[in-house]
Amino acid sequence: MPSFLEALTTNPLLLAAFFAGLAASVVSGIIGSYVVVKRIVFISGSISHSVLSGIGFCIWLERTQGVTWASPLLGALIAAVLSALIMGWIHLHYKQREDSVIAAIWSIGMAIGILFISQTPGFNVELTNFLIGNILWVSKTDLYILWGLDISVVLLILCLHKRFLAICFDEEQARLQGLPVNALYLLLLTLTAISIVLLIQVVGIVLVLTMLTIPAAIANLLTSRLSQMMILAIGLSSLFCVSGNVVAYYLDWPTGATIALIAGLAYVLSLVFLRESKQATRKEKKALSETLKA
Amino acid sequence: MNLTPIIYVENVQFSYHATRVLNHVTFAVQPGEFIGIIGPNGGGKTTLLKLLMGFLTPTTGLIQVFGEAPDSKSAHQRLAYVPQSIRFDREFPISVEEVVLSGLISRLPWYGRFRNQEREAALYALERVRLADYANCSFGTLSGGQAQRVLIARALVSQPQLLLLDEPTASVDNQSETDIYAILKELQEQKMTILMVTHDLRIALHHVERVLYVQEKVWTLKPEEVCEHFAIGLFHPPLIRPGASRAKLTSTSG
Repeated sequence: MPSFLEALTTNPLLLAAFFAGLAASVVSGIIGSYVVVKRIVFISGSISHSVLSGIGFCIWLERTQGVTWASPLLGALIAAVLSALIMGWIHLHYKQREDSVIAAIWSIGMAIGILFISQTPGFNVELTNFLIGNILWVSKTDLYILWGLDISVVLLILCLHKRFLAICFDEEQARLQGLPVNALYLLLLTLTAISIVLLIQVVGIVLVLTMLTIPAAIANLLTSRLSQMMILAIGLSSLFCVSGNVVAYYLDWPTGATIALIAGLAYVLSLVFLRESKQATRKEKKALSETLKA
Repeated sequence: MNLTPIIYVENVQFSYHATRVLNHVTFAVQPGEFIGIIGPNGGGKTTLLKLLMGFLTPTTGLIQVFGEAPDSKSAHQRLAYVPQSIRFDREFPISVEEVVLSGLISRLPWYGRFRNQEREAALYALERVRLADYANCSFGTLSGGQAQRVLIARALVSQPQLLLLDEPTASVDNQSETDIYAILKELQEQKMTILMVTHDLRIALHHVERVLYVQEKVWTLKPEEVCEHFAIGLFHPPLIRPGASRAKLTSTSG
């Protein structure tokens, strides 16, 4: 068996998977940080699962109705953005019952997907890839789309980061300052939806929350600035993708699950070691400021 | 001298679903006044502040802030709000400077970078609350009193004419309470109009010029007329100290 590095230089599929992992890490680090600090992990879970409705519908259109342009990726993107906007609207107007409605959209989305797939003849490899992820399945076009969306997200965030920071930290104050809080919130959810679709290509629907939240959650334990948290989360996410690829290559495990498992283990370890040290640092700083005050 | 009021509230009623929170509320606030808002929990103090900021709309009645509707851009540009620091997530990754700069977010250019003048304004606001050395610290590492002063700096950075504070001395130690009142006293001397919701009347009564007692209706009292039982949180009728003169037991225009 050739080493991972040899395989990377000789196998274009593995190389594409490597770059796809890095591209996904950029959005995972940036958007995941907002998801964690804004506490919209549950909404993100619902978006990622309701994506199945779009995938199932497009596979059905393509296979049984002969609609060639209806690719599962397009279906995933439309379903993700639509469910994000519906949940955003519910968050803004019906806060009291928000969690129940999110859960309903989660299961309705999956149910629609399963129904369409049951009506589609044959074994759907694409569906399995979407469900549990298959980074080796990423095509050259997918890579261009991934990096193109990466660049768009980075440029947008460069201009809007401080506004997003303001609505994540104190929505009421942002509203008083005249920021279009509702529009920014819906935009943040839309960006989350797009990122979820990109990440699904790497780890699949079932494991996408791992990539979206774990690198950012670990980074939150290491820094006290959102911008630094994003950079750290990108680094951690890339590390998980690369190490996941390597381990999966040698052990012949599914790549998505391996990446998710490594990220999950790293999170457990960080909670044990970093959380305590962060709390100790915080106490030291408080004690120091009390001393300075005295 | 009768100045144009900064806040004018006339016969306002507000109900949340079927529950009436405020009823027949009428009062006015003149420029430069320092007013304490007191009353029992659920009496409508926070609702009153939200109505004044335009976050809620009265069921009936008229509210004007700087002669405009309270949700107008012009009113929002001239007022600032200081919430309680305790309601913030201390794990949130944000620096003290970023918190203060968020008070100038309306002036942020489209490309998302604050200019030097905004950064200098933020530093000056932190100096006013004596926390300039903490600009680069994490907001979550501050004590309750320091966090509250940072929120005051965030409000001051936009140079408002009207400051609304929601229990700024709740959950802070005695020293921080003294520091916060010292800051408010300076602002009062600079003729800023201040409305402060408070539960802790022991010290507040020494600083405020007028008290609005909110319990569905709003009564205007002078600090010396407020019964001492209020200072320990026992809100009861009658509202005034026995024998106090000139008490106004009806909703008044101040």
